[in-house]
Amino acid sequence: MSEIIEKHMTEKQHPMASPGYQKWRLMKDKLAAYGVTGGGLGVIVAIVLIFFYLLYVVYPLFVAPSAEPVKTYSVPVVASGKTVFLSMEEQNEIGARFTDTGHIVFFRIADGQPIKEEHIPLAENQTITSFNHGRLDKGVFAYGLSDGSVIVVKTHYKVTYPDDVRLITPEIQFPLGKQPIQLDTQSNPLTLLTLRLGEDESTIVAATADGRLMLSHFIREESLFSDEGDFERTDTALDIDASQIAFMLLDKEQRDLYLANRQGDMMVFDLTDKTAPKFLDKQHVSNGGEITAMEFLNGELSVLIGNSKGLLSQWSLVKDEHNHRTFEQIRAFKVSDHPIVQISPEQRRKGVMVADNTGLVAIYHTTAERELIKQTLPAAISALSLSPRANAFIAQTIDGKIHFWHVDNEHPEVSWKSIWGKVWYESYPKPEYIWQSSSSSNDFEPKYSLTPLVFGTLKAAFYAMLLAVPLALMGAAYTAYFMAPEMRKLVKPTVEIMEALPTVILGFLAGLWLAPFVELHLLSIFSVFIVIPLAVLCFSWCWQYLPKSLRQSIPAGWEAAILIPVIILATWFAFIISPVFETWFFDGNIKMWMKANWGIGFDQRNALVVGIAMGFAVIPTIFSIAEDAIFSVPKHLTVGSLALGATPWQTMIRVVLLTASPGIFSAVMIGLGRAVGETMIVLMATGNTPVMDLSIFQGMRTLAANIAVEMPEAELDSTHYRVLFLAALVLFVFTFVFNTLAELVRQNLRNKYSSL
Amino acid sequence: MTTSTQTHTIDINALMQKQAEPKQDDEAKQEVCIKIQNFNLFYGEKQALHGINMDIPKKKVTAYIGPSGCGKSTLLRSINRMNDLIDSVKIDGKILLDGNDIYDKSVNVADLRRRVGMVFQKPNPFPKSIYENVAYGLRIQGINDRRVLDEVVEKSLRGAALWDEVKDRLNENALGMSGGQQQRLVIARAIAIEPEVMLLDEPASALDPISTLKIEELIHELKEKYTIVIVTHNMQQAARVSDYTAFMYMGDLIEFGATNRIFTNPEKQQTEDYITGRYG
Repeated sequence: MSEIIEKHMTEKQHPMASPGYQKWRLMKDKLAAYGVTGGGLGVIVAIVLIFFYLLYVVYPLFVAPSAEPVKTYSVPVVASGKTVFLSMEEQNEIGARFTDTGHIVFFRIADGQPIKEEHIPLAENQTITSFNHGRLDKGVFAYGLSDGSVIVVKTHYKVTYPDDVRLITPEIQFPLGKQPIQLDTQSNPLTLLTLRLGEDESTIVAATADGRLMLSHFIREESLFSDEGDFERTDTALDIDASQIAFMLLDKEQRDLYLANRQGDMMVFDLTDKTAPKFLDKQHVSNGGEITAMEFLNGELSVLIGNSKGLLSQWSLVKDEHNHRTFEQIRAFKVSDHPIVQISPEQRRKGVMVADNTGLVAIYHTTAERELIKQTLPAAISALSLSPRANAFIAQTIDGKIHFWHVDNEHPEVSWKSIWGKVWYESYPKPEYIWQSSSSSNDFEPKYSLTPLVFGTLKAAFYAMLLAVPLALMGAAYTAYFMAPEMRKLVKPTVEIMEALPTVILGFLAGLWLAPFVELHLLSIFSVFIVIPLAVLCFSWCWQYLPKSLRQSIPAGWEAAILIPVIILATWFAFIISPVFETWFFDGNIKMWMKANWGIGFDQRNALVVGIAMGFAVIPTIFSIAEDAIFSVPKHLTVGSLALGATPWQTMIRVVLLTASPGIFSAVMIGLGRAVGETMIVLMATGNTPVMDLSIFQGMRTLAANIAVEMPEAELDSTHYRVLFLAALVLFVFTFVFNTLAELVRQNLRNKYSSL
Repeated sequence: MTTSTQTHTIDINALMQKQAEPKQDDEAKQEVCIKIQNFNLFYGEKQALHGINMDIPKKKVTAYIGPSGCGKSTLLRSINRMNDLIDSVKIDGKILLDGNDIYDKSVNVADLRRRVGMVFQKPNPFPKSIYENVAYGLRIQGINDRRVLDEVVEKSLRGAALWDEVKDRLNENALGMSGGQQQRLVIARAIAIEPEVMLLDEPASALDPISTLKIEELIHELKEKYTIVIVTHNMQQAARVSDYTAFMYMGDLIEFGATNRIFTNPEKQQTEDYITGRYG
């Protein structure tokens, strides 16, 4: 346009026009053009930046984990003996090597230099016959001795800061005393043992060389006079042949005891009553091979079993419908074709590292069902330890070397399946969609399924639109087409002012006033939806029989105003009759009646409340845009239709609504966008329960409300934090795709139905 | 729409009647289709039509001419009660269609408008296909039989001299047609419901000369079947297409008679001044 002006100016100026003004005019035009372009670009840039920022935060979730070797050195030898176990300290500075001779060698992980050597006190006639670890994160280990006694040690790393430099000093403690505890009164060697130490009680289970299974339970007795305290000890012998048992695990609650032989027969006992262990279940767990390794997954709710065919399977006690616990396989990973010899679980997440007998090591995450890392070491592995923070591991190979690797594996919990699919979580009876992001304990299994949140978002939007769309569109059609102009001047701004109402107030009212009100007057609310339309129809029918003078006193287009008292009366009537109906037909309480007869439960914060509250928030948006669209249908079209003998109703249905359809469609889509993104109302009125239930009487949790609820408590850059950003990205993409599709449809409609 | 009696205008009306009594000349024996009797119309307080009396003959073209704002379009719209759509309008007097008062309470307005079709200055096809535009008048009467519709659509489009141009694209959007075609489509839409009277409100003023010519030819053909009343600004057009011409000025009917006579030998000075271009 400015070119045309320019051309005009240079070619032929008005003789009276001042050149200065012409220039100024031209400049203004250019400035305006640049301003508009700049503003438009700014908006696009802002949206793109938001999108990329979300992507930038979410991206690390999808980076493939990696592992790289740092150092290889010879096994630090101070004392003789074979390595039975390796462990690492939290900072990856110091490692501990446990030998079958009772020596514990602490060494610097960086270069393998021995720092300290400890050994357990053995009498001359004692030799070590078995070894096992307690909870890895507590650093508890136990040696079974040849005379039927047990000695328990605990590694402790003392951190001091001399000269402001961190110094870690390893030491060993004897939590149950330095004296070996005589477990087997018959003094047979202990061939296998497992133990768990707690604050107040400890349990040790051991198998003897002659095939008996002994259980000792210690309860700490508070003593006023000594720090050590005394233990009250209970011994029980389990009535099974222990000679075949090769693997034994006791969970941290000291309740479930898992026993397995190499052939794959697993027995589970409930030790709630330590004096009378109860048999729980028996399963064949080897998946067609022999069991070669068995460990707990972090949390000690599932058992990981490696077999001779390279299969790693996860098993867990699952409650069935009779509340009876059975032992079931949850999932399995194919590691290789060779026997799995080492299993080292992560100590804070549901990950696990395994090694087979060819030197292959792999890291898996169970919940996400992801294989994260697969590497091969030069020789078969005899001991493996994943560090407590799971960012490094050390592995001893059979050629007497220790390999130290770094692992970069920040967000193993996220996979396509764990976010969108059904996942079988520990101790759940079947795979499910669950969002449950945090809990108090460290060994909690986070459940990051966005499916229930997307479901909740759509459900909330659906019920809101169910209320808002018919009301807003019918209201818009009446206001724009039939209402007297003076009344329209009143009604339209009033409805539009509703939009300015802060949603936090709507949410607050919905949650604290409407929800209890609906709960109390459920039947009345439903009867209102029936009684009001009936009353309006009834009144319209009666209207024609009213005296003419009365009818003519209402000016044309003001008919809606006389419906106001009718609606108020109908509402009042609905509230009067509903309790009566409730007594007659629903035994006086419709909620109980529905529960009893249809099995429909009632939540106080439910989709009905959200539908009403959010519908109320969305109505002005839809109404305003749709009303404008209908009102701006050119008069010559309606007049043309009327001139052909159409009634006003036919004209509205066949011409006006058709012509206004692009605008009406936009109105509905913008309303939907608002309902999907709305936060405060759903936050306060939904109860925020991430359940997947279409019922109008159940609550939900939406993506937006979930972000609002959890973002303040999510640890920066944690998986939880990034998954919340992923939820935001999903919401963003959601609205973007919705709006784009809506715009395409609208353009199409406009090409078809817009008038000249 | 309420009809109110305006007592204070009676004297003036009587006077106007005397002045504006149309000369029916030798055509007096023509069959009358619409009889306008002492018709007054007010926009709120402002009177727009003063005691109009006029007999519109059957199956002839009657043209209303006059300067802008003289009330010719208002009078035209009164014949199918399109003025009802304006809230402030009040009328008195009578308009008889085949002897029945169209402002009688028993009259169904939608029915009246089916009998008295109207074409507006600006072509106003609906945003539908060509076919659906023509079929619209039938569909709202509840006629949905495809064979009937096909037949009527073709007949109407032929009647509006549009069939050959659009017969291959009946399902295309009517808004894709040229202005002249749109106007003929609107005429086809009007004649599809077989009205008795066609009111044309400056039907060619928004069109180019060739389209105008086509519309004028069409009007010639249409008067075989319909009584036509046309409002036009263009006096040559009035002279070309009409059999009778009414000259209106400031809400009064000044002179009404055979077109030939009005243009060659007007009785009133005002008429002559207007026709010869002294004002307008």
